[in-house]
Amino acid sequence: MSLTEQKIGRALVVGAGVGGIRAALDLAQSGYRVTLIEKEAHTGGILAKLDRQFPTDRCGMCKMLPTIKRDAVSQHCLRRGLFHENIEIITGASLLALEGTPGNFSARIQENPRWVDADLCTGCGLCEQVCPVEIKNPFNQHMGLCKAIHLPTPHSIPNSYVIDTTACTRCGECEKVCPTGAIRISWQDRERFRVLVVDDELIVRSSLEAWLSKEAGFSADTAGSGEEALELLGTNSYQVMFLDIKMPGMDGMEVLEKAKGISPDTAVVMMTAYATVETAVEAMKIGALDYLVKPFDAESVLPKVNSIYEALQLSTARKLDVGAVVLCGGVSYFDPSTGKDTFCYGASKNVVTSLEFERMLSSCGPFEGKLLRPDNLKPVQKVAFIQCVGSRDIGLNADFCSSACCAFAVKEARLAVEQSNSQVEAAIFYMDMRAYQKPLESYCQDAREQYGVRFVKSRVHSVIADKDNNCILRYPSPQDGSMQEESFDMVVLAVGQRPAKASRELADMLELPVNEFGFIKTLPFSCCETEKPGIFAGGSFTGLKDINESLICAGAAAQGASLALHGAGGSLAPVAKAIRPDPELLRALPSVFIALCTCNNKLGRVEDEKALADKLKYQPCVKKVHAFERLCTSSGFDELVEAVKKSGANRLLVGTCLPHLHESRIIELARTLKVDRACVEVTDIFAPANRDGQQGEPKGLSGSSEVLSILLSGIARLKRVRPHPLPTIPVTQQALIIGGGIAGITAALAIADQGFEVELVEKGQRLGGNLSWIKRTIEGLETAPLLEETLGRLEKHPLITLHTQAGVLATTGSIGSFESRVATNNGEHTIAHGVCILATGADEAPVKGFGYGLAESVMTQKEWESALEKNSQEASNLESIVFIQCAGCRSEERNYCARVCCATTLKQALYIKVQNPSSAVFVLYRDMMAYGQMESYYTQARRMGVIFIPYKKDCPPSVEKKDEGLFVTAFDPILQKDLCISADRVILAAGLAPELPEDLAAGLGIQIDEHGFFKEAQFKWQPVESATSGFFACGAVLGPRNISESIASAKAAASRALALLTKESITGGRISASVRPSLCSLCERCIEACPYGARTLDTENEKILVNPALCQGCGSCVTACPNGASVLEGFLREQMLETIDAAFA
Amino acid sequence: MIPEERPFVAPDKYHELEGVQKMLAACIQCGTCSGSCPNAFAMDVTPRTLWRMVLRGEKEAIFATRTFILCSSCYSCTLRCPRGLPLTEAMGALKQIASREGLAPYKASTRFYASFLDSVRRHGRVREGEMMSLYFMSMKNPLLPLQFASLGMKLMLKGKVGAPFPTRGKRPLEALFNKVMQLEKNP
Repeated sequence: MSLTEQKIGRALVVGAGVGGIRAALDLAQSGYRVTLIEKEAHTGGILAKLDRQFPTDRCGMCKMLPTIKRDAVSQHCLRRGLFHENIEIITGASLLALEGTPGNFSARIQENPRWVDADLCTGCGLCEQVCPVEIKNPFNQHMGLCKAIHLPTPHSIPNSYVIDTTACTRCGECEKVCPTGAIRISWQDRERFRVLVVDDELIVRSSLEAWLSKEAGFSADTAGSGEEALELLGTNSYQVMFLDIKMPGMDGMEVLEKAKGISPDTAVVMMTAYATVETAVEAMKIGALDYLVKPFDAESVLPKVNSIYEALQLSTARKLDVGAVVLCGGVSYFDPSTGKDTFCYGASKNVVTSLEFERMLSSCGPFEGKLLRPDNLKPVQKVAFIQCVGSRDIGLNADFCSSACCAFAVKEARLAVEQSNSQVEAAIFYMDMRAYQKPLESYCQDAREQYGVRFVKSRVHSVIADKDNNCILRYPSPQDGSMQEESFDMVVLAVGQRPAKASRELADMLELPVNEFGFIKTLPFSCCETEKPGIFAGGSFTGLKDINESLICAGAAAQGASLALHGAGGSLAPVAKAIRPDPELLRALPSVFIALCTCNNKLGRVEDEKALADKLKYQPCVKKVHAFERLCTSSGFDELVEAVKKSGANRLLVGTCLPHLHESRIIELARTLKVDRACVEVTDIFAPANRDGQQGEPKGLSGSSEVLSILLSGIARLKRVRPHPLPTIPVTQQALIIGGGIAGITAALAIADQGFEVELVEKGQRLGGNLSWIKRTIEGLETAPLLEETLGRLEKHPLITLHTQAGVLATTGSIGSFESRVATNNGEHTIAHGVCILATGADEAPVKGFGYGLAESVMTQKEWESALEKNSQEASNLESIVFIQCAGCRSEERNYCARVCCATTLKQALYIKVQNPSSAVFVLYRDMMAYGQMESYYTQARRMGVIFIPYKKDCPPSVEKKDEGLFVTAFDPILQKDLCISADRVILAAGLAPELPEDLAAGLGIQIDEHGFFKEAQFKWQPVESATSGFFACGAVLGPRNISESIASAKAAASRALALLTKESITGGRISASVRPSLCSLCERCIEACPYGARTLDTENEKILVNPALCQGCGSCVTACPNGASVLEGFLREQMLETIDAAFA
Repeated sequence: MIPEERPFVAPDKYHELEGVQKMLAACIQCGTCSGSCPNAFAMDVTPRTLWRMVLRGEKEAIFATRTFILCSSCYSCTLRCPRGLPLTEAMGALKQIASREGLAPYKASTRFYASFLDSVRRHGRVREGEMMSLYFMSMKNPLLPLQFASLGMKLMLKGKVGAPFPTRGKRPLEALFNKVMQLEKNP
């Protein structure tokens, strides 16, 4: 294969929020290389600001980290940063251009200038102390203050400072104090940046000149007319020209055209009055860079000039060859100060957005986690949450539901109550409580019953601040509609989602179509495939998703990208050969080489280096102590390798900064030195100095130096290491999929397309599951072609073996090598597989009550759908149809929302109204779960005359059969009376019940949740996997979901399964537990203690076995073992004791 | 529970209301209009309830309320409605139906409006005293002026209200009025 044809096994992921991280991890775990770029200075996206999430009310982001092949990634808090051997992260970068075809894209990535060199910054904080400029803290949603030079987040690793260039006065104080010379504010460079201002009005010319030269430090010239401007352009070179459109004589457009001929490199910014904005847009088409609308002020002009300056002068672009692109740009949020703003946001300090409130709850927030009123800093006693601010508002072109805000508000209300020891009274004002996620129904009930959160079904009309700055809420009473006024300390607005700013830029650049709200459009039945092959949208980029759905979508996008790379022949990242530890080493005496990084003499300032070295040399096992200037540079690295080789030491201790950051370099170092990774230890010797802010004098060496203790502990750990080959277990590279609905079929195809064999087991005779009766979706898409196409591919696929009328009896084994007994028509088979994906789906739940069974004309949604299938004219002679929602779910029996029934009802109601416009259609509902873009169908249904009547759980509608026909009686809370509706048909939304028999779950060894659905390891962070490793699930067995959501989950599950299937064997982690059989008394306490189910009792040989693929090295077994028989490599007893001794030395 | 006398009839059988129903179709009964309305305190049913009645086509109930006739067209509800519905226009449409049909409960309001316009038609602007006289005459209630007597005296003393006797004007807006009437007949 020639070089030009060689396909690239690298994917580009744009955006490093949780979606981007999920997609990158999936691709990296499947063996591809990934470049992850992020616009901001930190990873984590919006989740960097959210400390705790529903439904656990904790953070669980680290649960996304892989549990197999876990040494590839630094196993520490994921909110702080991500380090994976196959992932390269570039922060402060954006995608500038993309060319080429799937499998062979060429991406141009622009890296924004860094005023602080992240490689040099040690985060010591001296600059922050001297910076004289205070700005509003962007991390805390502009609440509280920070300096112009500040940390972008309080927790990132590495945490390098950033400068707000618009606020910075370039006084140069920080540059002077920076000990590593990381800060570069080039004042002189700015003077060389020349700007020309062309306007016929003197006032515009002179004020712009003053702002640009005096405030921003650029060189500015002015011209009063077009002719003058062209003359100046001919003699001098200008980087930017500000050009007025309307001038006497030669107008701006003419000047622009001519200027492009004289000085094509000059960027032109048009200045225009509001009336001529269209001309300015025209100007941009013929080469202007941007435009400004008059009148403007310094605050609006300077950031623009700064960004042009940075883009032109400082940013660097790099080219990258990638096989596929995943866009995970996230979303932005509605700004309530724009638009009508009847909620007093911006006018009263006590009205905040949900994000601001989230920061207020955080311990690193503006009030350090205390819930205080922003106006007088007194404790908050009463807080109101107002939902649907900027969502479900046609007036704001937001005919959609933002999907995540209901859960968000309930969580914040619960946290507020919890953090204040129940001192805070919380009330949520909502229109429909869209608790459609599986755990949310009971989460809301807990909030109501245990936390005392008040749920008020009413839309607040306005918030008024009284003289004491209390927030007075005006709202119609949910009981009788009378106007209520209630005073609260604080109001939290649940701001809706909007397309990210990058969304439009990327859509324009990649020519991707967007929907009417500006979100990227995807192909029918797909949440992630864009119109351009090879480009996928993941995470919440397509809008209106919560975390669970975002991660599923990111996984699906990763699967798509993986397939694009694989299909194009993309090569996997080379796997380094494991170095077998030298058996001689265990017998040899430990001799340690100590390398100290002085970090540009930083060490010298805090420690007496020579005394330190002398003290260390007294240690008997220390061979040599050597100081290096900068170990993090490549020359420093080479120097180190050379010196260690020369010394002949067999262990290496490196004293430097931020050891977890260097994991990939440590592995590389061990490989170069040809020693086991365990023989290289890196320890952070700058931690004490960074903590104390480098105050004080060198401590000298009185024997109490902390740096010495750190190094001595390192020696103690190294002395006792026992390098051992890492255990591996083979992987059967074959998948078993149970259930042949659309989810199962999709998962099977996704895995088989990547070249792995799949066994698909279906209990029925035919494949297709619920698609056999769902004929079209609410969007109007026909399901038959989808089923036909997938079934056609399935049947022809050489790698898929199909077993119909079959069932799995039991599964033995563990991740990587399972064996399942499958009963089919022609006897029992045994199938060997490495992973298992469960896709047994769900079916319509049985209905009790609501008149079901009274007459044939009372039917379920599924029955109605079948009736329509038999006779498409069924609806045309009906005069009155009543739909009753929540007829089978959200009750004691099935305490979850079935999520799909509201959309089905809307679909059917719209169908009836189209077929027979004169019919009267009623929907009796509790909360219409028209989440996401379903909301627009809800609006459409109302527009077409469907009457919606809400009812309460304790006051359900009654269905009676009389001689004249069926009558439905329901209480209308608005008219405050009972309505009696004569109905030709009553259609009941029965909801969905899982099809996961308990014996199947028990046979497989997986957990089911309290509703009978598949239990995810973590609803939010591991949405498609079981706590039992090797088992995944997709489709409705995970919880109710519609067709496209099922397909997305199938792809996500396949993506997670492929991360394992692509490996021939799994290697255990370096730090993993083992058992000393001679000391073991088989008490089995460790089996109970192990949270990962990695331990089993081998009754034949009377031994406790540890599965190396499952063991995560947590050490629970070691603490549980009464005999010290359970040991954790790297944390041996003697090693730990000696380390502790050394730390106190 | 007392069942309704009359089982539900499809709303669009009331043709006069159809236009108003179309205006309001996307209503989600959130009650923002009721909260915004400065006159809601005086109304017997809130605007939200009125819209619900309109959507259900309860003609008798709608034209027994005083809600729409009390609308002062301030447009607060229209501005704030999250569904962007033309609520003030809908109130106006209901007023028009009431006026056209000459419904009894709205006699006073309808005639007040008519007297106002009559005065405008005569002079091109309203003459307050004359308007009130026309109103009193049309109401055919000899005691009615007494209700306004104290307010009228105060206004007259301050010179705010002129001569109360109707006079023949030059009718400068006659052509305009005729045109509008013609348009109303054949839209």
